Amino acid sequence: MIAIAVLSGFVLAVFAPFVHRLTKPLSGWVLAALPAAIFFYFVQMMPQIAHGETVRAAWDWVPSFGVTLSFYVDGLSLIFALLISGIGAFIVAYAGGYLKGHKDHGRFMGFILAFMGSMLGLVLADNLITLFVFWELTSITSFLLIGFNHDKPRSRRAAIQALVVTGGGGLALLGGLLLLGVAGGSFELSELLASGSIAENPYYLPIFLLVLAGAFTKSAQVPFHFWLPNAMEAPTPVSAYLHSATMVKAGVYLLARMNPILGGTDIWELVLPVFGGITLLTGTLLGLRQTDVKQILAYTTVASLGLLVMLIGIGTDVAITAAVLYLISHALFKGGLFMVAGSIDHSTGTRETVRLSGLGKVMPLTALAGLLAGLSMMGIWPFFGFIAKEVIYEATLHHDPRMWITAVAIIGNSLMLAAAALVGLRPFFGKLLQTPKEPHEGSPSLWLGALTLGVLGVVFGMMSHFSGEYLVAPMASAIGGRDIHTALHLWPEVSLPLALSGVTIFLGFIWFWQIDHLRSLLYAATQRLWGPDHGSDQFLAALVRVSKNLTGLLQTGRLNFYITFTLTMLALTLGIPVIAYGLLPTSIVLPDVALHIYGVFGLTVVGALALLFARSRLQAILSMGVTGFSVALIFLIFGAPDLAFTQFMVETLSVVIIALVLLRLPVDTYDRRDFLPSLRDAGLAISIGVAFTSIMMAIGAEPLDLTLTEYFAANSYLEAHGRNIVNVILVDFRALDTLGEIAVVLVAGLAALALIKVRDGILTSPDANRVTREDEA
Amino acid sequence: MEPILAVVVGILFAITVFLFLSRSYVRIILGIFLLSNATHLLIFTMGGLTLEVPPLIPPGATVPTEAIANPLPQALILTAIVISFALFAFLLVLTYRAYQALHTVDVDEMRDAEPLVEEDGA
Amino acid sequence: METVTLPAIDIARDMGLIAPEITMAVAAMALLMLGVFQSDARSRLVSNLSAVLLVAVAAFVVMTTGEPKLAFGGSFKVDAFASFAKVLVLCGSALAILMSRGFLHHEKLERFEFPVLIVLATLGMMMMISANDLISLYMGIELQSLALYVLASFNRNSARSTEAGLKYFVLGALSSGMLLYGCSLIYGFTGTTNFEVLGTVVTGGEMNIGLIFGVTFLIAGLAFKVSAVPFHMWTPDVYEGSPTPVTAFFAAAPKVAALALFMRVLGDPLLPLIHEWRQIIFFISVASMVLGAFAAIGQNNIKRLMAYSTIGHMGYALVGLAAGTVAGVQSVLVYLAIYLVTNVGVFVCILSMRRKEGMVEEISDLSGLSRTRPMMAFALAIFMFSLAGIPPLAGFFGKFLVFFAAVDAGLWQLAVIGLLASVVSAFYYLRIIKVMYFDEPAPVFERGIGTEMRLILTGSAALVLLFAVFGGPIISMAQHAAVSLMG
Repeated sequence: MIAIAVLSGFVLAVFAPFVHRLTKPLSGWVLAALPAAIFFYFVQMMPQIAHGETVRAAWDWVPSFGVTLSFYVDGLSLIFALLISGIGAFIVAYAGGYLKGHKDHGRFMGFILAFMGSMLGLVLADNLITLFVFWELTSITSFLLIGFNHDKPRSRRAAIQALVVTGGGGLALLGGLLLLGVAGGSFELSELLASGSIAENPYYLPIFLLVLAGAFTKSAQVPFHFWLPNAMEAPTPVSAYLHSATMVKAGVYLLARMNPILGGTDIWELVLPVFGGITLLTGTLLGLRQTDVKQILAYTTVASLGLLVMLIGIGTDVAITAAVLYLISHALFKGGLFMVAGSIDHSTGTRETVRLSGLGKVMPLTALAGLLAGLSMMGIWPFFGFIAKEVIYEATLHHDPRMWITAVAIIGNSLMLAAAALVGLRPFFGKLLQTPKEPHEGSPSLWLGALTLGVLGVVFGMMSHFSGEYLVAPMASAIGGRDIHTALHLWPEVSLPLALSGVTIFLGFIWFWQIDHLRSLLYAATQRLWGPDHGSDQFLAALVRVSKNLTGLLQTGRLNFYITFTLTMLALTLGIPVIAYGLLPTSIVLPDVALHIYGVFGLTVVGALALLFARSRLQAILSMGVTGFSVALIFLIFGAPDLAFTQFMVETLSVVIIALVLLRLPVDTYDRRDFLPSLRDAGLAISIGVAFTSIMMAIGAEPLDLTLTEYFAANSYLEAHGRNIVNVILVDFRALDTLGEIAVVLVAGLAALALIKVRDGILTSPDANRVTREDEA
Repeated sequence: MEPILAVVVGILFAITVFLFLSRSYVRIILGIFLLSNATHLLIFTMGGLTLEVPPLIPPGATVPTEAIANPLPQALILTAIVISFALFAFLLVLTYRAYQALHTVDVDEMRDAEPLVEEDGA
Repeated sequence: METVTLPAIDIARDMGLIAPEITMAVAAMALLMLGVFQSDARSRLVSNLSAVLLVAVAAFVVMTTGEPKLAFGGSFKVDAFASFAKVLVLCGSALAILMSRGFLHHEKLERFEFPVLIVLATLGMMMMISANDLISLYMGIELQSLALYVLASFNRNSARSTEAGLKYFVLGALSSGMLLYGCSLIYGFTGTTNFEVLGTVVTGGEMNIGLIFGVTFLIAGLAFKVSAVPFHMWTPDVYEGSPTPVTAFFAAAPKVAALALFMRVLGDPLLPLIHEWRQIIFFISVASMVLGAFAAIGQNNIKRLMAYSTIGHMGYALVGLAAGTVAGVQSVLVYLAIYLVTNVGVFVCILSMRRKEGMVEEISDLSGLSRTRPMMAFALAIFMFSLAGIPPLAGFFGKFLVFFAAVDAGLWQLAVIGLLASVVSAFYYLRIIKVMYFDEPAPVFERGIGTEMRLILTGSAALVLLFAVFGGPIISMAQHAAVSLMG
C-alpha cells in the first residue's frame, strides 16, 4: 500500500498529458485527486503513528548488495508525507489554473506528479539506496521543472546550476550512505535507528562530512545557497512546492533522520549550528535587498532552512520540538505566500514590491490568504508561527549560556518578520498603483490552496493540544530517537522567550518601516561582494580551462611524446625498485665456455649497434639480418633447434619484406634528433637496459620451478606419443594456441588485402584531406 | 651463462628504446624488429640455459633420460615468433600505406588527428 | 606445496569445450573465402552472415554454460565467468557489425574485410577470456590487437585513419612488449605459465621482487588494452581518427575482453598477491577516473569526448577489481554489461549525425536536437544520465555496485574519489543534455537511419531505462560468474 502511494505518482505522471488533454480545463482538479487520496491515506495512519507504532514494507531488489525497495513510516516520515501530498494536491490544482493555455501544460503536470512521487519516496524510504535513488530523482525532476521555460537563458543556467549542485552533492551523499551501510552493518534505516549512534566508528568522520555535503547542497546552506534564488526562474507553482515547502527540506529531513545515528557529537553540535546560523543571517540580509517578491521569499526560505539546521544541530528536546514546529509552520505559510505571489503576478503582471499596493480591494480572497500566511510567518499570536518562535527562543536560551545563538535567532527572525510584512501585508494595503495588467481576483484554483494553508496556520495554533499530540510529538520523538513530549502553550507564560518575541516584533517593524533605507544600504554593501553564484560560473569556466590545458599538455597528438611518456613511466617503475632493493649487479662472473659462444653474443650486439648507426636503408637491412641470424644461432647453441630453424626462416622472410617495402619508398634512416634530446633519450635507454639486466640477473639467481616442464616431459610420449617435446607442446598440449596463431597470420594477410588492394587506383592526397578539415573547423 | 645473456638482452633493450624514441618512423620500425628479438632472447634466458641438448625423448624411452633444454620457453617463443612476424608484416604494409598518404616518416609531422581545440586555444 | 593435476589430453572432449572458438575460426575462413571469391558486391551478405554467426555462437555459449572445465593441458578454461564475458563480447561485436552498415555504405567503405576482421578480433577476445595460461593469454591478446590495428587504419582513403592505425600500432607494440616481458618474468620466477600451477606456486612461495615486477608489467600491458591511465594516450587520437563504426566497436567489446582478462589473472592465480597488485590497480583506477573526468570537459568532438569517457569508466570498473572480492568481480561484470549497452546506444546516435554534406561529430552539432529529433534526443539524454550515474538508470547501479564492493573491501577512499570524479564527469554529460534540449537548433540531420539502427537504439535505451526493474537476473548471473572465477 505504501509502495502504491509512492509509485502511483510516477504512473499518473506518464499519463498526465493525456488526462490533461481529456479533461481540460479542469485537469488541475482531476489530477489533484491522486495527491488528495494519498493525503487521506496518510491521515488515517496518524493515530497509529501517534501511539508510537511504525509501519514497514519491503521488497527485494538487489539483495546481495543490500538493496531492497523498502519503506518505513514513523512520526518524521509521516508528517513529511502529509505535507508533500497535502500541499501537492493544492499545487496541482493551482498549476491547473496558473498555466492555463501554456503549450506544455500537460507535460508540466506530469513533471509535478513525478516530483511528488520522488519526494514521497525520499522521505518514506527505509533502505539507504532507495533513499538515494529518490533523492536524485527529486534533483532531476527539479531540473526539468526549473528549465521548463527553456527559451529563457536564465532558466537554462538556473536549471543546470541547480542540477550540478544538488546532483553533485547527492553523489557525495551516496558515498556517505555506502559507508554508513557498511559501518552500521545494515542498509535499512529502521535497523540503523534501532542500533543507535555510530559516533565511535572509525568511519564516522567521512560519513558525517559526506552526508553533510548532500544535505547542505540540497537544503541550500551557505556556501551552496546560490542555486535556490536562481531556481525562482521556474513557474511559481514549482517555487511554492519544490523550492519552499518540500524538496529543499530534503536536506533537513536527512539531518533529522540521521540525528539518532550521527548526532550528539561535538562536531555535529558545532558544525550544524554555525552553518545554520550563518545561512540564517545571509538569507535574511540578502532577501531584504530584493524587490522581487519571489526573490524575497526565496532568500527567506534559505534563511529558514538555516534556522532548521541550527535547531537540529543544537539537538536538545526543546530544540527538536522547535525545529518540528517551525518546519510545519514554514511549509504552511511559505507555500501559501508563494501561491499568493504567483496569483499577484498572474493578475497584475508584476512581482515588484514597490509597484504593488492596495490590492486588497480587488483581490480580497488572495489578500486574506496573504495576510494569514504573512502573520504566521511574522510569528503573531495566535498563529502556529507564534508558538514556533516561542519554543525556538526557549531552545536557544536553554541550550547554553553562549548567547550568540539567541542573538542570531533574534536578528534573523526580526529580519524575516520585515520580509513577511513586505510580501504578505504591504501589497494589499494603501493606494492601488498602476500595474502592467488590470488586477483582478483569480479563479478558485489560484486562491483556495493558499487560503486553506493560511487557515491551517491559525487552526494548528489554536488547537495546540491536538497539533502537539498528533503532529509535533511523534515527529520530534522520531528525530530525537527518544520520547520527546514538549507541552505547547497557546497562552504564553510571562517569561524571557515572550520578552524576546516582543523584541523581535519591535525590531521587525523598525526594519519594515525603514525598508527603503535598509535595502539601499544592503544593496550598496553587497553589490561589490564576490558571491558563490558568480563564483560557480567562474569555477566552471576555470574547470574548462584546466581541462583544455591538461589535454593540451598530455594529449599533444605527437607520437614521439606518447612514446617518451610511456617509456619514462617504464623507466621509473623499473628503476626505483631496482635501486631501492639494491638489485644492481656488482660483478659479472664470466663463465668458462667456448670462445665461439662469446663470438655469437658479440655478433648479436654488433648487429644491433650497426642498426643503431645505420646510415642507409641497405645498411639497416643488413644489420637486421645479422642480429636476427645471430639470435637464431643462440637458440641453436642452447638446445633449441626447432626455434633456430623457425627463426632463420622468419628472419629471412622479414628481411625480404622489409627490403621490398623500404627500398621502394624514398625514405632514409637518419636520426633526426639534435644532440641534447639524443643525450636525454640515451640516458633513458641506458637506464632501462641496465634495469632489465639487473632484474634478469636477480631472477636468474633463484632456482627455477620446473613443475610444468616436468609435466610436459613426463606426459609427452605417454599421452601424445611424440618424442619432440616442443612439438608435442605445440600441437597437442597447446593446439589451441596454434589455432590462434593461424588466425593471427590470417589477420595479417587480410590486413594486407584490405590496405594494399588497389581497386579504384586513386588515393586521396593528404593535402586534399587537410583542406576539408579546415573547412570543417 | 645466464648473466652474460642478461647483459646482451639489456643492450638490445637499450638500443630498442633509443630507436623508439627517435622521431623517424623508419627507426621505430627497426626498434620494433629489435624488440621482438630481444624479448625472445629474454624468455629463452628466463627458462634456464642448457648447452646443446634439445628436448627430445630418446627412442625406446618414455621420458627424457638426461637433462634436456627446457621445452616450455621454446614453445612460448615459437608462438611469439610467429605472432611478431605477422605483426611485423602488417606494420610494413601500414608503413607503405602511411607513406603514400602522409608523405613523411617524421612522427611529429603526423599530426593530422591532433585535436583542433589545442591548436587555436591554450 | 600442493600439487596440481592438469587434465590429460582428450582431443574429443577438448574440441567440444572449444567448439565456439573452432566455429568462429572456421567460419571466419569461410567468410573470407566467400568475400574473396564473390567480390565486394557480396559484402552485405558477409556482414549479415557474420552478425548471425556471432549471435548464434553467443546462444551456443549460453546453452553450454556449466561447471568449470579445463582443456588442452589446462591452458584453456570454460566456466560461467568466461560464458558471461563471451556473451557480452559476442553481442557487442554483432551490434558493431549491424551499426556499421549505414556508415560504410555512405562512405563507400563497404568491404567484406570489415566484418571478417571483427569476427577474428572477437575470436581473439574469446581466447583472452578463456585463457588459463600466459601463452594463451598473449596469443589471444595479439590476435585481437592485430585485428584492431587493421580496423583502425581501415579507411585507406583517409590520412587520419592511417595515422590512427600507426599510432595505435606503435604504442600497442610497446605495450605488447611490456606484457610479454611481464609474462617472462613471471615464468622466470615460477617456472610455469599455467594459471592453475601459478596459483599454487604464488601461494606457497615467499615474496620475490622479480615476481612483483612481472605482475606490474603484466598489468601495464593490460592497462594499455583497457585505456587506463597512464597508458591511455592512444585512446583519444585513435577514437577520433578511426572510422566511427570502428570507434564504436573499440569502445565496447575489446574493453570487456581486456577487463575480463584482468579479472581472470588477478582474481584467480595472482589473488594471493592482492596486497601488491591492489596498490597498482588503486593508482591506475584513481588516475583514470580523475583524468577521464577532467580531460573530457574541454572537448568539442564527441568521439574524443567518448574516448575520455571510456578512460573514466574503465577507472570505475577497476575500482571493483581493486576490491578483489567476489562482490568486486560481480560488480565489474555488471558494470561492463551496462557500459556496453550504453555505449552501443551512444554510438548509434553518433552514427546518425549525418547531414547532406557528410558526417559531423562536434558536440555543437547536437544543438536543439530535442526539437529536430525528439526521440533520438530523449534516448541520448537517457544514455548521458546513465553514464553520469544518475539513478534510477542502469549506470547508477553499475557505479553503486562497484563502489559498494570497494567500501565493503575497506577501500572507502577509492569510492569517495570515484564519487567526486563522478561529480565532475556529470558536468560534461549534462552539458550534452543542455545542448540538445536548451540550445537553438543546428541544421537538421538526415532522416532514415535504418530499421536495425532504430531497433538497437530503442532496445538499448529501454535496457538502460528499465534496468532498475529488470536488472535482477543480470546481477545474479554476474554473481554466479564471479563465484565460478574466484571459488
